[in-house]
Amino acid sequence: MDADAVITGAASGLGAATARRLRQEGLAVASLDLHVAADVDVSFELDVTDADAIENAVARAEEQLGPISHLMTAAGVYELVPLGEIGPDAWRRMFAIHIDGTANACRSVYRRMKERGRGSIVTIGSELGLMGDPEAAHYAAAKGAIHAFTKSLAMEAVHHGVRVNCVAPGPADTPLLKRDMRSPEYVNSLVLQRIVRPEEVADTVAFLMLEHHNFVGAVLSPNAGAVV
Amino acid sequence: MRYEGIEGRVALVSGAGQGMGRAHAERLAAEGAVVAANDLDPTTAAATAEAVGGISVPFDVSMPEAVDAGVADVEARLGPVELLIANHAFMTMAPFLDEAPEHWRRILDVNLLGTALLIERCVPGMVERGFGRVVVIASEWGAIGWENATAYAASKGGLISLVKSVARAVGVHGVAVNAVAPGTTDTPQLDVDALDAGVSHEEIVRRYGEDIPLGRVGKPEEIAATVTFLCSTNAEAFVGQVLHPNGGATRVWGI
Repeated sequence: MDADAVITGAASGLGAATARRLRQEGLAVASLDLHVAADVDVSFELDVTDADAIENAVARAEEQLGPISHLMTAAGVYELVPLGEIGPDAWRRMFAIHIDGTANACRSVYRRMKERGRGSIVTIGSELGLMGDPEAAHYAAAKGAIHAFTKSLAMEAVHHGVRVNCVAPGPADTPLLKRDMRSPEYVNSLVLQRIVRPEEVADTVAFLMLEHHNFVGAVLSPNAGAVV
Repeated sequence: MRYEGIEGRVALVSGAGQGMGRAHAERLAAEGAVVAANDLDPTTAAATAEAVGGISVPFDVSMPEAVDAGVADVEARLGPVELLIANHAFMTMAPFLDEAPEHWRRILDVNLLGTALLIERCVPGMVERGFGRVVVIASEWGAIGWENATAYAASKGGLISLVKSVARAVGVHGVAVNAVAPGTTDTPQLDVDALDAGVSHEEIVRRYGEDIPLGRVGKPEEIAATVTFLCSTNAEAFVGQVLHPNGGATRVWGI
């Protein structure tokens, strides 16, 4: 059975929650993360901006687990910087991690899926990629780019039996969340008056990966009412 | 995959006699929900109810008294409605200037007012109990409009606004309200399109499929899977969202 998954950023947050969810469904999960992931079948420590490292890890993951039929790209960083103060290095780093990181993982895994004529990829965007963020324009722009990348890859991949979709979560209870997004003032501005649980994002990813549906290039946004 | 939080729930599915509605009833029942199958046509409602081991509640969703009595019937026999799937629809197609006024009224009465009446009747109880799921079947055309389907598209666009408004009001009470806007899906409703284009059902399915990246129109069970997901426990984070299971039809991507 080829029901194996690669998750970038599986050591914490949304990636870790989804790894747990997919393993409940009987999938074997390989983590690609800067840090060691606990709740997975095999963990590779690497930087997602390093395309060669990703290619190596994906090849080794397939040797150990078998053909990879699911990919989630969750590796990311978040920081609050006023627009005028984002220097060139911060811009490049934000785009390198999100866009290069997502594209690197997709390149290595999609090539293999395409040969086999099947597979499912779920990228992680953000509600901020939909609505913008004056305090993190580089993050919002990088996430918006992931949405556009997802739709573009989806259009090609659908002809090779590979489904590509995006989940754009709202503020979720993960280590990336800034402290002021846990303040009552912010939380009460959300329709649900609470932030998103990582399990809610994990279930959405699992749905897109495992269910018999006809989403192609879709962006699903479990965001607690941040963007209605 | 299976979903948490559906087993044992009472689900009311409108327009459940055929097409997508029947698929929603079947999938929800397979996940353990107890289904009340509504349809204007008592015969098809009964057939769906029998197939899924639920009850049949035929009534006209556009008539306030009928909605009130129909939901009361569900409550008396199964208990309060916890999952509301507003799937019913009425459609005619004609160029805007040729559309008969009575068709306009009927389309808005059934599609938009009918859903509003169901929500109005079922949601207060959900809020009181602190749990509920409402999934409204809108349409790709409700998001982007469609030539020769002006009234239908307007009614479906209205449903999207209705969903967003209600979702904002009740989300904090554990009631998730969302819309599914399917792309072209292979149901008996495509007979209307076939008639408009002067071709067979099979031909319209083929033509529409050519325009979809997936290479074919959707299947009712694919839409039913989306509906079922939105009824699950962890779908609560979806607030007034419109999900587009449409095989990648890019024309909605600007929305």
